[in-house]
Amino acid sequence: MIKQLVGLLAVLAVAALFVALLPLMAPTELGPVTRHYVEQGLVENRGANLVTSIVVNYRGFDTLGEVTVLFLSVSGAGFVLRRREGLVPEPQRRSSELVQTASRVLFAPIVLFGAYIFVHGHLTPGGGFQGGAVIASAVLLLLLADRDRLLPHGFLSVIESFSGFGYVVTGFVGLAATGSFLANRGVIDLGTWNRLFSAGVIPVIYVLIGLKVGSELATLLDTMMHADQAGEGHR
Amino acid sequence: MEIRELVGALVTLGGAAFLFLGALGIVRMPDLYNRMQAGTKATTLGNILTLAGLAIYEPAWLPKLLLVVLFVLMTNPVSSHALARAAHRGRVPLSDISVEDALAEAYGETAEPAKEARP
Repeated sequence: MIKQLVGLLAVLAVAALFVALLPLMAPTELGPVTRHYVEQGLVENRGANLVTSIVVNYRGFDTLGEVTVLFLSVSGAGFVLRRREGLVPEPQRRSSELVQTASRVLFAPIVLFGAYIFVHGHLTPGGGFQGGAVIASAVLLLLLADRDRLLPHGFLSVIESFSGFGYVVTGFVGLAATGSFLANRGVIDLGTWNRLFSAGVIPVIYVLIGLKVGSELATLLDTMMHADQAGEGHR
Repeated sequence: MEIRELVGALVTLGGAAFLFLGALGIVRMPDLYNRMQAGTKATTLGNILTLAGLAIYEPAWLPKLLLVVLFVLMTNPVSSHALARAAHRGRVPLSDISVEDALAEAYGETAEPAKEARP
């Protein structure tokens, strides 16, 4: 009875909060910066996806920070859950042949789809982060189907480092060409609106982000998978 | 309305009917394995039929829809196979009216593992 009463009160409180906040949701005037993004975004960046030109160009420095945060969290997880070498994991029941075969067949199309998402980041919804997450889900499928599989860590960290490096280099190229970090105009030809090769450095950066996020998340998944296994085998 | 659009809409409706029957099967079937069968077979076919109707309605989308159908064909049966196998390994009981447990026989276990444990 009391439980239900508390639940009802909680619902009422949320409803009251919603009503109280409702006036804030009324359309307001755009601030000068927002107005500039909305009105000049297409002209200045020629990216069909306005969100992308904000995230990767106007707010490109913030996005570099986000990528760094992801990198740090993956490094932290890798440090805490590091794989203990030389430990023989407890033999686990293998997935059925159907699952193993299907995961191997599906791996390539899913990675291709992830690449499609980040290559078209400046044209369609989604971008580097989403495409990277899709790629990592393909890796997860592979790892779930075959738990003994070890990912090539060296290869992954090379991809990850070089894409992060490339992001910063792109920023400095903009700095050298036009005098502002991560500048878009004046670096590469902006091309025609809504074409694959358009929007200047935005697709370059999004491909780098996609590769970085994909390899980082794949490393994280592999670390978690094998750390768990080693821990169980040890006890 | 063009006749092609009408046919496409009807085929999509047929797909929706299959999806509905799949949902009904999940409610009505006696145990997990039977529910899973309703949820898999009916939704795979229902999905494909819905997408086929869409392809008739809008032929320009055919290549993309074919890719989606291929993906559904690859993933839906395999994922429910994995779920059902895991449930069997986890000894989820069969319903009272099931007569055969071929997987248990294939593993060389004695059949009818925990049949009476059904709530």
